[in-house]
Amino acid sequence: MSVLEIGAQLKRGAFMLNAKTSAPLDGVTVIFGPSGAGKSLLLSAIAGLARIEAGKIVLADRVLDAPSERVRVPPHERGVGMVFQDARLFPHLSVRGNLAYAERRAPAHKTRLSLAEAAKEFDIADLLERRVRNLSGGEQGRVALARAILSAPDLLLLDEPFAALDRPRRRAFLSSLRGIHERHALPMIVVTHQIDDAASIADHVIGLRGGSVVAAGAIAQTVATEAFQSLLDPHDVGAAVPLDALASRAQRRERAAWVRADHVLLARVRPEGISARNIWEAKVSSIKHEADGAILVGVETKFGPISARITSEAAQELELAPGKSLWAIVKAHAV
Amino acid sequence: MLSAHDATILATSFIVSARAVLWSLPVAIAFAYVLSRPRFPGKSVIDAFAHLPLVLPPVLIGFMMLLVLGRRGPIGGWLDQTFGVQLAFSSEGASLATAVMAFPLMVRAIRLSFEATDARYFQAAALLRAGPWDRFASVALPLAAPGVLAGAATAFAAGLGEFGAVITFASNIEGETQTLPLAIYSALQVPGGEETALRLALYSFTLAIAGLGAAEALQAWARRRLQA
Repeated sequence: MSVLEIGAQLKRGAFMLNAKTSAPLDGVTVIFGPSGAGKSLLLSAIAGLARIEAGKIVLADRVLDAPSERVRVPPHERGVGMVFQDARLFPHLSVRGNLAYAERRAPAHKTRLSLAEAAKEFDIADLLERRVRNLSGGEQGRVALARAILSAPDLLLLDEPFAALDRPRRRAFLSSLRGIHERHALPMIVVTHQIDDAASIADHVIGLRGGSVVAAGAIAQTVATEAFQSLLDPHDVGAAVPLDALASRAQRRERAAWVRADHVLLARVRPEGISARNIWEAKVSSIKHEADGAILVGVETKFGPISARITSEAAQELELAPGKSLWAIVKAHAV
Repeated sequence: MLSAHDATILATSFIVSARAVLWSLPVAIAFAYVLSRPRFPGKSVIDAFAHLPLVLPPVLIGFMMLLVLGRRGPIGGWLDQTFGVQLAFSSEGASLATAVMAFPLMVRAIRLSFEATDARYFQAAALLRAGPWDRFASVALPLAAPGVLAGAATAFAAGLGEFGAVITFASNIEGETQTLPLAIYSALQVPGGEETALRLALYSFTLAIAGLGAAEALQAWARRRLQA
């Protein structure tokens, strides 16, 4: 299996990026971390827009960057596409002109789809003759994505392209992104600081803080680690639950849903006559006392580990102890 | 109505200045683009060189051109012997002198335009597989178009009035190198020529204003087209 090897060291003012990790090229990798972690800078280094000072970046069998060997492939020869947060559609061209710009420069043998097919797939066929300044934010994002795919990249980088979208549109965008990935076998690396986005799209996750990789690997295992959880806001602490496990409001295409510890209830007996749709058997695996007196309970379910945040009074009533069998209740609305 | 004499003068001015803009535009674009790039060694030297015609007396520019491009000059002599081309005292020479004088004006206008272009579009183009030359032609130049048009129009208007360098290098030959300001000068040398001079001055004034107006309009149009 081919991978993207990432070894990127570079300084930006007082900030130091020092990331060493890898991403498999047969899935979607999410670079996750709080703002200021260096996520976008890492993406720029992979794209060749930021020059690394030390390290090595290898895409499958092609060395893109290796300062010690004086190798540096310029951005336009990397075969790496990028969807920027701010779309960056060319203002002097129409929507069609923007798409054609990419199509004309794509190597024919790598082309995945034609301009007309892309316009149809991204639902922009009616916009083709419009000037880009007359597009809404969502439309711009779709055109930027179509443009990037028409350039037939070997790897597509996405820098929070959905940041400007509201929640429902964001869901739809992520879901369509997943679809594109699967239909065109296009490896993707997506930057986000929203854990829900990460859970819904990632096969693989790279957790970044202060320019360094703190956790990396397959999503299910990686997000459960202490190191990864430490990247999260306290109220975001939780677990990725495969979507097919959840009774949810709607059918969706995403991989997993992020279940926050704050949204999980624990019960000694299986509750009945309750509105929550997800009630799972759970075995206590860890008990952690948090600074503010709350207790974070890790439990094993048939869908993997999840966690619940409860008060100490509740813990007493539940007679909490490692190995104890309980019921975990997750409100479908929360996911 | 224009007399044949006045028409010849206007036509000469027009041809000399238009050709000057045409010749110096590509060079000015190249200089402006290079100067708009982030710092590189030799930048201030290139910058100073591009500005020379703006700070030196025009007569001196004409004189220097005579020394280099005249029939006995190193380049002028070679041009004469190899191609039989004489620049000094010809209509082409007048254009060349005008082109040199208009050059800094163009470089400044175009450079500002290049500098104002958002570098993020170049990054986007690079990641769509466009190489440096491709990016220049397909992104930088179209985005700088308002400045290029404005620079060309301003240079054309200024070129109509170029005097010192033209008279020194190309002389004052009717129908060949005698542009409006040279004709005004000649008229003033003749007793009772004030009336002619005034009439020519009026043309000159009208053309200059029209040129500036055209520059403004072109720029506004191009900017509207580009607005993101």
